[in-house]
Amino acid sequence: MLIAELPDFMDDIAFQGLIGLSMAMYLWLISAGLTIIFGVLRIINFAHGSLFMMGAYLAFTFYGQLGLPFWLAILLSLLGVGLLGLVMERGFLRRIYGIDEAYQLLLTFGFILILDDAVKIIWGGVFKIPAIPPFLDGAWRVFGRSFPVYNAFVIAVGVAVAVGLWALFEKTWWGRIVRATASDREMANAIGVNVPRVFSGVFVFGSMLAALGGALGTPVRVVAPGIGAAMIIQAFIITVIGGLGNLKGAFVASLIVGILSAYGTLFFPVFELFLIFAIMAVVLLLRPQGLFAR
Amino acid sequence: MKKGVGILSVLFVLTLLLLPASPAEAQCQLGVPVIKIGVQGAASGPHADYGRQIEMGATMAIEEINAAGGILGCKLEIKFMDDENKAATGVKNARYLVAEWGAHFMVGTDSSGVAMAMGPVLAELKRIHFFTHAATHRLTEELVAGKGIKEIVRVSVPVYQDAIVAALIFKDRPEIKRWATIGADYEYGYVTWNLFKETLRKYRPDAEFVAAVWAPFLTLDFSPHVSAVMAQKPDAILATPWAGEAVMLLRQALIQGVFDSQIQAWWQAMGGSVDVLEGIASEVQRDRFKGKLWATARYIHNWPDTPENKAFNERFRKRWARLPNYSAETTYSALFIIKAAVEKSRSLETPKVIEGLKGMQINNPGGLRVFRAEDQQFIYNVPAGRVVMDPKYPIPVLGDLKVFAAKDYYRHPPFTPVAATK
Repeated sequence: MLIAELPDFMDDIAFQGLIGLSMAMYLWLISAGLTIIFGVLRIINFAHGSLFMMGAYLAFTFYGQLGLPFWLAILLSLLGVGLLGLVMERGFLRRIYGIDEAYQLLLTFGFILILDDAVKIIWGGVFKIPAIPPFLDGAWRVFGRSFPVYNAFVIAVGVAVAVGLWALFEKTWWGRIVRATASDREMANAIGVNVPRVFSGVFVFGSMLAALGGALGTPVRVVAPGIGAAMIIQAFIITVIGGLGNLKGAFVASLIVGILSAYGTLFFPVFELFLIFAIMAVVLLLRPQGLFAR
Repeated sequence: MKKGVGILSVLFVLTLLLLPASPAEAQCQLGVPVIKIGVQGAASGPHADYGRQIEMGATMAIEEINAAGGILGCKLEIKFMDDENKAATGVKNARYLVAEWGAHFMVGTDSSGVAMAMGPVLAELKRIHFFTHAATHRLTEELVAGKGIKEIVRVSVPVYQDAIVAALIFKDRPEIKRWATIGADYEYGYVTWNLFKETLRKYRPDAEFVAAVWAPFLTLDFSPHVSAVMAQKPDAILATPWAGEAVMLLRQALIQGVFDSQIQAWWQAMGGSVDVLEGIASEVQRDRFKGKLWATARYIHNWPDTPENKAFNERFRKRWARLPNYSAETTYSALFIIKAAVEKSRSLETPKVIEGLKGMQINNPGGLRVFRAEDQQFIYNVPAGRVVMDPKYPIPVLGDLKVFAAKDYYRHPPFTPVAATK
């Protein structure tokens, strides 16, 4: 009896892993931006979840309200949030780099409140959800079950971003400059790197990654005030597990959290929420600097 | 000169004392400048439409009551506050509304958790709160009938609607045997599932409960929950995430092919709410749910088919350009219940108003509500049905309605405990 059921059971396990992988990719996109910003600017940006939310709202406006193609709506939302990031960095964050970290917390927390209220004023308090783009609707038969094309798309985007970020930081001039600045900003400055400009560029880039995470899910997740707060906690857990400022760590930790929480839902639904915090606690106990931090 | 100023001052003060009170106070037979109603609801996050609808219902009610002369000549005023679906915020708001703003009554509250935290505080504040959405049965069974907190009055049907009505409908579907839940990971989700199981077992000893997964507030990805319950091959799913979360859940279930599978029915608790129906309208139009989606609500805009309800719908659409959801109707009705109770008791004092509620039967847009003194609930019928399109409405409605008499699905005192745990 058990053996007869085994193939089905194995299929269910494999399928749940795939679902977990798609969850992990959303987490990866938001935590990648957070960890890059911390790695270079040494700023813990509590408003990163709000940038995720802004990405979702702008994508909804361009795609759901103005009827632009989905990919174009995503692109425009990245640009819009990038611009917002530029204003935040140039106008505000730049003024607190050298002072106590408590000011970072206060300032970025202030942005959460301002942006949450701003979206309520602009888009109202009621959630929004546009139609699924036809080319992403439907499902493929995988492990005897229906795997959504949409989730496959999210996995593809997440992997593409991971490869793109690796290439950007390892293979390009700009990537080397950024790494040099992250490693020693005084030295980078001394050899002629325009550090303030690098800071702005990195903050804008990190903001755009958050926006991508938000925009990508618009047709299957609702857009509402407060969704940023839901994401930022998970993103922080991931960056802590992976090691603050470590991109590879953020990717691996996203996979761990996404896939294990999917399995937690399958095998231990009563304790699933506890599982993620337990992983973080174990990592903090055994390796407080995170899995991949040096 | 100084003497003249002194006489003038005395005359001025005397004049002030002899002047009648302001016209509003003179008119008001209860001796207050205005009757203040504190209103609370969730006005942020995926559940924000409920708070908004609570506010719309309350606003429309006081506009109508004030236009008709107020309550015993006293005008009404409301103050709406966002409780953010958080117990601490709800309690803080209640304290502010009573102690600082001076509320005579309070109305609203969406979350069961918020309601349970507020209950004991209401006894301390000595103000009645008319609950118009929060659904845990424990609010009225434990805090009112059990602990005797008279400041709690419930105007909306509790989880009896979500759980017991589901069991009464599906007990007669012998092909549906294996049940799973995708539950809200808090009090409302737990009590609905436990009460559903308890009721269905009485009628269908063959029923199996094969999976239960839980999603907390602000869940954005229900994919793992859907796939986990589908792994157990249930015949039907009972889902309790509500509002925007219900819309997300349904859409994510659709793209996982749930409605093309062996699933015979999906019971979406509170899926008959206007925001949910708006959110899934395009899928219903395209029959993506294949007639398998069932829903309920604490009032549905297309029932009862009475002139009063139609007129209420028309006024509401004219005022707000939307259809009323249940938290709007229940809050609107709560204001008229306050009016009737104050007019009967001719007082704003809590014990006298509670006396005024006793024996009350009142016709609201949702139909006849009857006050039950033992647990201080207003009891009324709400049907459940299948989510369908109706050419008369711009959004889906509940059709194929199953109407049960309220006495058949409300629990009755003395109450036996139902677990509020997973």
